[in-house]
Amino acid sequence: MPATTVPDATTADGALLVLAIVLPVVGILLSFVLGGRCAERIAGVLLPAGLGVACIVFLKVWQGGEPLIYTVGGWQPPLGITLRADGLSVAMMVAMAIVICLIGVFAHANFGSRAASIETRAPLVFWVMLMAISGAMNMIFIGGDLFTLYVALELLTFAAVPLVCLDGRAETLQAALRYLLFALLGSILYLIGTALLYGSYGTLDIVLMSQRVHLEPATLAAATLMTVGLFAKTALFPLHLWLPPAHAGAPAAASAVLSAVVVKGSFFLIVRLWFDVMPGLLSVAASQLIGVLGASAIICGNIVALRQKRLKLLIAYSTVAQIGYLFLMFPLAFSADPLHLQYGDALTGGMLQAISHATAKAAMFMAAGLVYAALGHDQISELGGIARALPMTMFAFGLGGLCLIGLPPTGGFLAKWLLLEATIATGQWWWAIVITAGGLLTSAYIFIVLSRAMGPPSAPLTLHAAVPKYQEVAALGLALLSVMLGLVALGPIDVLQVGRPEAPMVQLR
Amino acid sequence: MPAYLAFAPIPAFAAVLFVSDDSPLVVGPARLHLTFALDLPGALLLGVAALLWITAGAYASPYLQGRPNRGRFAVCWLTALTGCIGVFLAADMVSFYLFLAMLTLGACGLIIQHETADAWRAGALYIGLGLLAETLLLIAFVLLAMDIPGDGLLIGDAAAALPTSPHRDLIVGLLIAGFGMKAGLVPFHVWMPRAYAAAPTPAAAVLSGAAVKASILGMIRFLPLDTALPHAGTLLAAAGLFAALYGVVIGMTQRRPKIVLAYSSVSQMGFIVAVIGMGMIAGDGRAALAAIFYSANHVLVKGALFLSIGVIAATGRRYLWPMLLPVAIIAVGLGGLPLTGGALAKIVVDGPLGDGAANTVATLSAVGTTLLMLQFVRGLVTTVSTDQEATAAPSLFWPWLSTAVASLIVPWALFLAVPEGMLPNPLAPELLWKALFPVLLGAILAAVLWRWVRRLPHIPEGDIVVVLDRCVKIAPAWGKTVEQAEGMLRQWHVAGISLLALTLALGAALLAQ
Amino acid sequence: MNAATLFGLCGAALVGIGLYGLITNPEPLRKILAFNLLGSGVFLLFGMIARRAAAAGLGGDPVPQAMVITAIVVAFAATAMAVALVQRLADETGQASISSDSSGAVNGEGKS
Repeated sequence: MPATTVPDATTADGALLVLAIVLPVVGILLSFVLGGRCAERIAGVLLPAGLGVACIVFLKVWQGGEPLIYTVGGWQPPLGITLRADGLSVAMMVAMAIVICLIGVFAHANFGSRAASIETRAPLVFWVMLMAISGAMNMIFIGGDLFTLYVALELLTFAAVPLVCLDGRAETLQAALRYLLFALLGSILYLIGTALLYGSYGTLDIVLMSQRVHLEPATLAAATLMTVGLFAKTALFPLHLWLPPAHAGAPAAASAVLSAVVVKGSFFLIVRLWFDVMPGLLSVAASQLIGVLGASAIICGNIVALRQKRLKLLIAYSTVAQIGYLFLMFPLAFSADPLHLQYGDALTGGMLQAISHATAKAAMFMAAGLVYAALGHDQISELGGIARALPMTMFAFGLGGLCLIGLPPTGGFLAKWLLLEATIATGQWWWAIVITAGGLLTSAYIFIVLSRAMGPPSAPLTLHAAVPKYQEVAALGLALLSVMLGLVALGPIDVLQVGRPEAPMVQLR
Repeated sequence: MPAYLAFAPIPAFAAVLFVSDDSPLVVGPARLHLTFALDLPGALLLGVAALLWITAGAYASPYLQGRPNRGRFAVCWLTALTGCIGVFLAADMVSFYLFLAMLTLGACGLIIQHETADAWRAGALYIGLGLLAETLLLIAFVLLAMDIPGDGLLIGDAAAALPTSPHRDLIVGLLIAGFGMKAGLVPFHVWMPRAYAAAPTPAAAVLSGAAVKASILGMIRFLPLDTALPHAGTLLAAAGLFAALYGVVIGMTQRRPKIVLAYSSVSQMGFIVAVIGMGMIAGDGRAALAAIFYSANHVLVKGALFLSIGVIAATGRRYLWPMLLPVAIIAVGLGGLPLTGGALAKIVVDGPLGDGAANTVATLSAVGTTLLMLQFVRGLVTTVSTDQEATAAPSLFWPWLSTAVASLIVPWALFLAVPEGMLPNPLAPELLWKALFPVLLGAILAAVLWRWVRRLPHIPEGDIVVVLDRCVKIAPAWGKTVEQAEGMLRQWHVAGISLLALTLALGAALLAQ
Repeated sequence: MNAATLFGLCGAALVGIGLYGLITNPEPLRKILAFNLLGSGVFLLFGMIARRAAAAGLGGDPVPQAMVITAIVVAFAATAMAVALVQRLADETGQASISSDSSGAVNGEGKS
């Protein structure tokens, strides 16, 4: 075990991290002061600015090869709070900032402020919550201690729940309530975990804890509670009860945020917990258990998605399945055979899967929203002719689907390749079967949707509303991004390893 | 756009003619990149495939005139074309897989072009089996990538590393299954009749001629033919020979010319696979080139035959015979008619096939193919235009005729390029007789069959796919069970209990270390 | 039994009762109350941990106290939000229930 207890010092440019969190907060406050009409303009300035900050941080970390650190107020942990941006953080920050910005472009049509219109509540809520999600996600990515992460997680939930029930109909309200209550159950479990850990180690700082942590019942109990709580928030099968109604009921732009961005927040915390806070403590049996959950999510989610009659529900269930892929990295990274620890491959594959799913799924939800707007419904059996009416939209949907299936050169392909490589290197071939079977099931429902969309309409197609071009472009942009991810990731893919120890963690068993 | 489809493959053809060095082209950053190279098997197939894509593209332009979805056809055509050329040029596994996937997607788009219920079913079957095959291949590629020393992903390195790999049998099995599905080996041939029957004629020509050869090239590139692998080779050869006969038998029961041709493809592809399998048994690297030669001949012949369907359908009875003669020559040529490319191909593969049972089966298959091709020509006559005086438009006629002529000339050109002494003289009388007698036998059999057998059993196109259809009907019931179970898990108290149960289980699993 | 253990046991009991209520009670309002009970139990746990540090000579560890205050604010916000949702739901439908699965997840007629 390394004996370093050198406190983290603020690095040069560390203040950028504060900016990443403060910018959205400033936007929220300004929106409340200036009112709903200005909210969109404020978000229109601050979200791209946030993306710019994320990009600068990314470049600094990538080129410097060192994490950026900022100790708030100069107080050292365990008393103070540290912000840390390592490779995982910056990759996720940039990806999520891009997705959020494009969702902002897309949302202009539904939540845009029009001149001389009566101010309504929905636009204000939407833009404020979008900025809140952006800030909360940044906080989750760069927060340096477990309690800050708890606060960020709650912030994320509180920002996500109103998005579910933006239209105020009874069924979306119900979905929002289910979501909120189940998420609260999850966060309470997480909170108990932090209490136990603080009781054992006297700190919640990630670096300090990773140096002090050792195998003892209280630690394991805490880790269990936190992990399961985060499972509930990530909607890992079988704790996904809230996800389908919430994601399918929300307006398209909100669904895209919820599915692409929000679930990744709690997932990221699980990764932090097991890879950074208590490396080496995840037993083989536990990692296999997590893998089994992921595998059942893939199989079950995909089969149920195949049977859906509504497009948005189909996409929501596909999210349930895709979340499963994220959790396959745990059995692959923590295999029984320490000689073949594919720490890097599995982690990179998992994170890449998270990012490519974010782009692809956002594109698909946007496409579904446009289809809904044009047809007035989203029954899959009556999609006939829509591909001819909205070719760009369905193309975006198809490209997103290719990414989910995992065909080259999409990001999904690279992620699956890395995961498959890890299964073979660790000799766990059974996960390879799940990964490939999931891809086939995914291709089945994508094919069904596309074949219906390209088929002839049952009655002459009348479009309820004209679909603005820029919305289609936003969806297509995200879809193209998910396709290009396989190519672009060839360059900066190493950034994910910045700030991680060279060798696999100290083996504590 | 659809009018210029013929020009797209010209650069590929030019590359074959003018590129002489085989140093690879590397695209992308140093760490992970796509590599392309033009080796001899790739160049041979690329050349003939590009030729077929050019003529079929020229044929497609008038064919599409006035039909719906022309833009989409062009997009799918170009996608499939890119995939097809890319597969022949790819030198590393990632780009090979990438272009194979492009080929599958483009081909699927071409198959569903007409948007009939049959076309959708055929498209679904094609893409389903295609993706399944690619999945198997992906696992094989990942396994191979682990065996290559260093970070490289070159196919050549993979094939070199395969014989000593700890997973050798598994990889070979996956490769055979994956490429076998793509090549239409029985029982994975079910997509072929349906897909070729549903696809527009020019698309069927390029799919059956050029696209399907990607699997042959894949086998040759990945399977270590220089090292003897008797078990896998026997398996491959047996499967191939079985398909070679099976395609003929089922094909005989079919009436529609497109489907007869599709079953002939099943048979011919099986034959080519068998040649590769025999090469694996003997560890004889020359089998690869033999298989490629046979494939190259098949590319042009099958392409020309498919194109002839459209030409004959546009021709009146009065001009039928001058049109039918070239069709009949190249069709029977597939069975080995002397002086045609088919006869040359049979001479080339004679060596790898050896003198044993395989050779007997090959002769049988030649008899069968002749029979099948005569059946095809007979079926073709019934599709003739009702207008006595009709003639095919020149824009349909010339692409077809040039393909037909190319299918007669190109094999000779390739054959003569082989250094003298390596292959027997095709004009030697005993070889002429050896090639002629299966054809004569086939013709006699055909005459007997048509004269005395009134009715052949009716077998649905795609034969055993009927079983698959039944399985598909059962699947929803299973899906419903899963859906119900999932609905139960989504109830609040059930989810709460699973949360607690999960906590206990995970805690126990963590403490158990 | 010292004071810390007693507080710990009380906290555990509250957590247990809260969990039971949150999972089994069909009424959303009661679920919210159960959540608050659960939360109180956890806050007690934090208090106990702060108190344990006092044994080491400090007057009580300030960090858990800061955390518990934050957590109480979070729980308060969550409760307010949940109650507001329940009220809106009751306004819309005349009753508030989340155990019936009538929402959008049902295949078919539901439209969003």
